[in-house]
Amino acid sequence: MATGAVTAVSFLVAPMTGHVGIALLYLFLVVLAGLTLARWTVLFVASASALIWNFLFIPPRFTIYIEKVEDVMLFAMFFVVAIALGHTTNKLRGSQLAQQQRELRTAALYELVRQAGLAHDIDAGLGAALALVEATFGVKAALLLRLKDHTLSRETHAASSFKIEPRAIELAEHAFAGKSPTGRFTQTLPDADTMHLPLKGRSAVMGVLVILPAAEKRFGAPEKELIETFAVLIGTILERDHLLAALKHAEIIEASERLQRALLQSVSHELKTPLAAVQAGVETLTGAVSADGKEESAVLEIQTALWRLDRVINNLLNMSRIESGVVQPMLDWCDVGELIENSIDLAGAAIHEHRISIDSDPTLPMVKLDQALVEQCLCNLLLNAAAWSESQSSITVGARLQANQLLLTVQDEGKGMPPAELPRIFDTFYRGQAAKPGGTGLGLAIVDGFVRAHGGKVRAANRQPQGAEFEIAIPVETLPATVTEKLA
Amino acid sequence: MSEKLTALVIDDEKQIRKLLRIILEDQDYRVLEAENGRQGLADLAQRKPDVVLLDLGLPEIDGLTVLKHLREWSHVPVLVLSVRDGPADKVAALDAGADDYVTKPFAAVELTARLRAVQRRSQSVDDEPVFHMAHLTIDFTSRTVAVKGEEVKLTATEYALLKVLAQHAGKVVTHKHLLREVWGPNAEEQSQYLRVYMNHLRKKIESPGKAEKLLRTESGIGYRLMLPMKQE
Repeated sequence: MATGAVTAVSFLVAPMTGHVGIALLYLFLVVLAGLTLARWTVLFVASASALIWNFLFIPPRFTIYIEKVEDVMLFAMFFVVAIALGHTTNKLRGSQLAQQQRELRTAALYELVRQAGLAHDIDAGLGAALALVEATFGVKAALLLRLKDHTLSRETHAASSFKIEPRAIELAEHAFAGKSPTGRFTQTLPDADTMHLPLKGRSAVMGVLVILPAAEKRFGAPEKELIETFAVLIGTILERDHLLAALKHAEIIEASERLQRALLQSVSHELKTPLAAVQAGVETLTGAVSADGKEESAVLEIQTALWRLDRVINNLLNMSRIESGVVQPMLDWCDVGELIENSIDLAGAAIHEHRISIDSDPTLPMVKLDQALVEQCLCNLLLNAAAWSESQSSITVGARLQANQLLLTVQDEGKGMPPAELPRIFDTFYRGQAAKPGGTGLGLAIVDGFVRAHGGKVRAANRQPQGAEFEIAIPVETLPATVTEKLA
Repeated sequence: MSEKLTALVIDDEKQIRKLLRIILEDQDYRVLEAENGRQGLADLAQRKPDVVLLDLGLPEIDGLTVLKHLREWSHVPVLVLSVRDGPADKVAALDAGADDYVTKPFAAVELTARLRAVQRRSQSVDDEPVFHMAHLTIDFTSRTVAVKGEEVKLTATEYALLKVLAQHAGKVVTHKHLLREVWGPNAEEQSQYLRVYMNHLRKKIESPGKAEKLLRTESGIGYRLMLPMKQE
C-alpha cells in the first residue's frame, strides 16, 4: 500500500524532478520498511521498488527495458543500495528490539530480587515473586515447595493464585525429579494446560513453579528462557532461606550444648567440692580418733556413705551427659585384658565378696574404643551383678570378637530377672521390683547410653539354670595381628 | 628434711583450702593459700613455694590458663586438683605442664603420695644409677632389670618405656609423652605401639594374679608406675 502511495506521488512529481529524484522517494520507502517490517518483507519491498521504478519511470517508461547506460548503472546501484539499506535498518531495529527486551528482562529480574529476595518473610517474598511472574508473562502462577524430607509437597502454596490439579502435580513431580521443565511449551507432554518449572537452587531443587497461561497464549524462546531464569532465581532465594534457617538451627543447638556443658561443669563442681571437703575431713579425723573400735567403725561407715554418694553423683552427671547428647567417645587402641582388669579395680570393694573370674581370649587383638567409657560400662555391670547375687557366688567377665564386634559379657549366679522386667531394665531410673535398697536405677541406663554412643548395643538375658547375663556388643576396628607381630 | 617445704594451694573454695592446710601441715609442709589465679601467680613469684596444688575450676582465670602462665617461667612441681569430668581436662592439664593430678573427692593418703611423687623430680633420677621399687630393680648403668632378684630380659623398646616410667615413678605419664620419649616426636599418634609394648612389659615384670599392680592404666590419659603407698 505504501508502495502504491509512493508510486502515486511519484507520478505527480516526476515531471518536475525527472526519474532520478523519484529513486530517492523509493529509497525512503525502503528505509521506512526496514524500520518496521520483517527481514524478508523488507527485501521484497526493496526489489519491488527497484522494478516498479524501472518499469514506470526509467525511460523508456512502461517497459523493463533501459535505454541509457547511465540509467542501467543507476538502476543497478538503486537495487544494491535499496537492499543494503533495507537490510541495515532492519538489523538496527532488531538489535534495538533485543536491547529493549533485555532491559525488560533485567528490570523484571531486578524486581524479583528486590521484592522476593529481600523480603523479611519468605512467604511474603514468594507472594511477590508470583505476582511478578503473573504481571510479566500474563499468566496465572502457583507453587509447590520441597518438604523437610526432601520430597515435593502436594499442597499448593498459599501465595498461589490457583489450585494445582492432581494431573499437574504429577507433572510437577516429574519436573522436580528430572530437574527440567515439563508440560506446556516443553518437550514433555506439551499438550498439558500448565507448564512446570523446577526451582533449581545451587545444590537442590527447592520446589516447582506451575504456570497456567491462557489457552491461546504463545511462548517464544526468549520468554521461555526468561521464565526459566525466574524459576532459578526463586529456587536460589528459597535455598538461601533454607540454608539460613539451617544455620540458625545449628547455632541454637551449639549454644544449648555449650550451656549444657557449662551447667554440668558447675553442678559437678558444686557437688564434688563439699564431698571432697567431707572426705578429707573424715580422713583427718581418722588420724585423731583413738584406735577405739566404735569410733573407727563410725568413720568407716561415713566413708562408705561418701563413696556411695560419690557414685550416685557420678551416675547422675553421666546420665545427664548422655541425655544432653554431649557424650562423644574418644576412640583409641586398647588392650581388652587391661580394660577388664581396670573395670574390676574400678568396681573396688563392692565386688570383693564375690569370686570374679575372667574368661577372655588371650590372643584378642587390640581394639579401638573409648577405654574410660567402656570400663565404666563394665564396672556398672559388675556392680549390678554383685548387687543381684549372693556373696561368694561367681561373676564371670568374658570377652571375645565376633564379626568385627567386641562382645563383653558379665554373668552372675543370682536369681536372674523376671521376664516381664527385661525390656525395661535399661530405662533411666527403672529399678527392679525386688531391688535391694540403695541404687538409683541409673547404672544400666548409663551402660546403655555409653554403648550406644559407640554405636553398639547392650542386652540382658537369663541363664540356665540360674543367673543373669549381660552382653555389650560394640563394633570395633581391630589392630591386625601382623602389626602386633612386627612390633614384637 | 631439715627445712620445711612450702606448698602453695590455689583453690577458690575456702573449705578445701582449710582441709588441705590440715593435711599438708600434718605432713610437715608450710602452707600458703591463694583464692584465685591472679593471687596464686603473684604468690608464686614472690614466695617461691616448693610445690603448687592447683584447682582447675577457678573463677576468672581458670586453672589451665594459670598453669600455662606459670610454666612460662617456672619449673615448680604442680599437682592439679580436678573433679572427675572425663580424661580430656586432665590430659590438657598434663600437656600444659602439670606433673600429676588428683581427682576430687580425694583420699588424704592418695594426695600425699602424689605430692611426694611430683617432688621426686627435683631430685633427679639420673643421679641414682639404680632404681628400687617393691620387687623391681632397674640398673640404669648396665641397662638391666630384675624382678625379685631375677633378671628379666627386656627388648630395647620395653626397656626405654620402663625407664621413662621409672623416671616419673608414682606420676602419671601421658600416652603422648611416652610415645614422644620412646618412639620420637613423629609417633605421638601411634598409640597402638604403646598398647602392644605395655602389654609385653606388663607380662614380663608384673606377677600374674591379683597381686598389687606395678603399672597402672589411667584410662584415656596414660600410665603410672605405682610407688608403694607409705602407711603412716
